[in-house]
Amino acid sequence: MDAKLLQSLAGAGSQPPKEKGDVSLLEFLDLQQLNCLNESSEYSLKNLLASKSINTASNMWLQSDADEQLLLNITFNQTVRVKTLIIRSNDLAKAPKQIKLAVNRPNLGFEDVEDADEPGVAQIIDLSEDHVLKGDPIALRYVRFQAVNTLHIFVVNNHGNEDETVINAIDVIGLPVETTKDLSGLKPKEQ
Amino acid sequence: MPLEATMMVIDNSEYMRNGDYQPTRFDAQADAVNVVFQTKVDSNPENTVGIMSMAGKGAEVLVTHSKDLGQILQAIHKTSSKIGGEIDIPTAINVAQLALKHRENKNLRQRIIVFVGSPLDGQAADEKIMVKLAKKLKKNNVAVDIVCFGDGIEEPDSEGKTIMKSFVEAASSSDNSHLVIVPASSNLISDVLISSPVLSEDRSASIPAELGGTGGSGASGSGSNANEFEFGVDPSLDPELAMALRLSMQEAQAREAASAPSTTNNPTSQSSQMSGATPTIPADPTDDEEEAMLQQAIAMSTQEQDVDMDEDAPTPKPGEDDEMDEDEGEDEAIARAIAMSMEDSQGEKDKK
Repeated sequence: MDAKLLQSLAGAGSQPPKEKGDVSLLEFLDLQQLNCLNESSEYSLKNLLASKSINTASNMWLQSDADEQLLLNITFNQTVRVKTLIIRSNDLAKAPKQIKLAVNRPNLGFEDVEDADEPGVAQIIDLSEDHVLKGDPIALRYVRFQAVNTLHIFVVNNHGNEDETVINAIDVIGLPVETTKDLSGLKPKEQ
Repeated sequence: MPLEATMMVIDNSEYMRNGDYQPTRFDAQADAVNVVFQTKVDSNPENTVGIMSMAGKGAEVLVTHSKDLGQILQAIHKTSSKIGGEIDIPTAINVAQLALKHRENKNLRQRIIVFVGSPLDGQAADEKIMVKLAKKLKKNNVAVDIVCFGDGIEEPDSEGKTIMKSFVEAASSSDNSHLVIVPASSNLISDVLISSPVLSEDRSASIPAELGGTGGSGASGSGSNANEFEFGVDPSLDPELAMALRLSMQEAQAREAASAPSTTNNPTSQSSQMSGATPTIPADPTDDEEEAMLQQAIAMSTQEQDVDMDEDAPTPKPGEDDEMDEDEGEDEAIARAIAMSMEDSQGEKDKK
């Protein structure tokens, strides 16, 4: 019994089991507020996520401009719980290596996160090759992402120390919190 | 109509007391600030503009994001009594960036417009530091426009580069940052700014590129005297007039070109002949740029002529004849005059 519990706990620690009801949170994106610092004008985050689903097209990606760092600000139209993250790149050398995640920090700039450490940022993750090449889900510290309105992903560097970072696909998986903030879908009742 | 939050950084160093710009450098700059503010706010009602000074006791934010002209005027008036010290561009830009970062409306793009009227000194004179700063601005999605005037105009090095030019180039992404140089002349800084790329985007999207193009940084930057424009009229100020002028010039050129082969084949003499024939053009025909444009126009008009030759075929003839008659008449008159004067002098000699 104890062994089983321990096993399940260990399992939960490394990789939260995919529960029923987990959905891609991209459908709750607020495209108006979506922005990314240091993105190239041609290959921007807005284009990548415009379809509100994980990108599968090969001619669309997110690319950095002045140097290898990127700061993605992903705003949702309602509060969500984020469980896992998928970041995929086709080219390992240009794939993100270390990322820092922050939650609900409007006005976030590079200088705020560059030297930040936990708990200044919600979580710092070093991405493995499997994560970025195969698009393996990246487990987050669930407790720190319980009430997310805006998720900030700061890409510190890439695997090949290139001047350019490329992200081909990105997905955020979790649960919407059960409050209705988005009223745009409501229609007046017919009488 | 870009959505923009703008921060204007003005120079209030001692150099601003100089009177080489009308009436003083500071007042000329204040006028330019006024125009920039109006243009930005008019182009989109959500746009905001702030203002800060970079000399005196240090960089100082005077007004953060505002749509109220009164606040800007008040700030300038207050600063006009605080002229002194030296400018510190890197600090000022960093402060401006912070002010922009905490703007209310995140949908606004960020822009800093820096007026530089004093020589670069200290950190600002170090190209490496400035380019690094520019990269940082680019990374944070901040566009920068630099307006150089008075002592702020640098002598380009052997490769024609200046620190400010490198700075703007490093900060520019998809051509959103510009450098405008305003030499001391009868031109107001605000006039040059209106026709420069700094404000052209905000002014009117309806002006065709080929008409607005002449007001580019090349013209305003390189020209030293007033009236660098083709017809002495700023095309962006009155696009319809510019269009009419251009059309009439094209027509005149078409007529000239039709009669040209009979008189001469040399395009250079053609163009100078033409600018002589149309006295409304104040431009200097020896100007290389002008020459090239004229030749291009001639080439275009001759092409057009080829297309609808059948329709226009009879029309050039009378013009041609007139032209020849005039030429001959002139030549004859001159010959006659010379002959008469020769006769006169001979007559005088005979008398003696």
